[in-house]
Amino acid sequence: MTQVARPTPERLDAFTLPSQPGNERLALARVAGTVRGRGLSDARLERLKTAVAEATMNAIEHGNGNRAEIPVEVEVTRSGDDITVAISDQGGEAHPGEAHPGEAHPGDGDHEEPDLVKKLDGAQSPRGWGLFLIRNMVDAMDITTDGQRHTIWLTMRTTGAAHDEHV
Amino acid sequence: MTSMCEATTRVLPGAAVIELAGEVDGSAAGVLTAAYERAVTASADSADLGTVVLDFAAVDYINSTGIALIVSVLARARAERRKVVASGLSAHYREIFDITRLSDFIELFPDLDRAVSQLGTA
Repeated sequence: MTQVARPTPERLDAFTLPSQPGNERLALARVAGTVRGRGLSDARLERLKTAVAEATMNAIEHGNGNRAEIPVEVEVTRSGDDITVAISDQGGEAHPGEAHPGEAHPGDGDHEEPDLVKKLDGAQSPRGWGLFLIRNMVDAMDITTDGQRHTIWLTMRTTGAAHDEHV
Repeated sequence: MTSMCEATTRVLPGAAVIELAGEVDGSAAGVLTAAYERAVTASADSADLGTVVLDFAAVDYINSTGIALIVSVLARARAERRKVVASGLSAHYREIFDITRLSDFIELFPDLDRAVSQLGTA
């Protein structure tokens, strides 16, 4: 049996942030500085920045409950052509947008696929765009939960331009 | 590195222009609502406020909460039978307006001059 060797991920950066509103801008800026010049077009870098900001905001607010003493952890790795940003909090399963339909979550209505017409008609909260934006900004998104540790993985390929042309 | 949202309102014949600067995020809620109120109030006695122009040329960041605020402004304007157009969005935020379908309801112009001139209010 032939085994295909997968490249070992190279860690480009790892840092933590206090869970305070607004710190998503720090994550955005630091990740942008780390990945700039590593094969992402300007447009795709902007997408990654938005995804990182939204995911970090979710981690701060929904994962760690705006408790500054609980850090949000951010790790940037490269594996072959993929750049992955992993953003972790201690919120366990308690994340809006990842629940089963009908499961109640307080807050911003992120558990339902956003529908602008419904929002304009008042049938849906104006909010709830976070996870939707993240999904549409990156090439791949994955979410894992290990006990209380909740991680969102955002991956951008550095070689493909297809996503640029079809969004 | 962050900059609070600021808004300047100008009333033109048939339209009001809200020029936004800084960050359109959760902290912008009061600013945006107040700017819209000013636009409505200032135009009430002088001219018919048919269109609200949101100018984003000096905006450097919009997040999902900011998108929600824009949705709220659009919903209110539609309820009041006003048209909303936008100008000055970067390519990235134009894309976000497309993805969210905001651009189905808000006509986008490259810059404020073209927005105003094409509305016939120059």
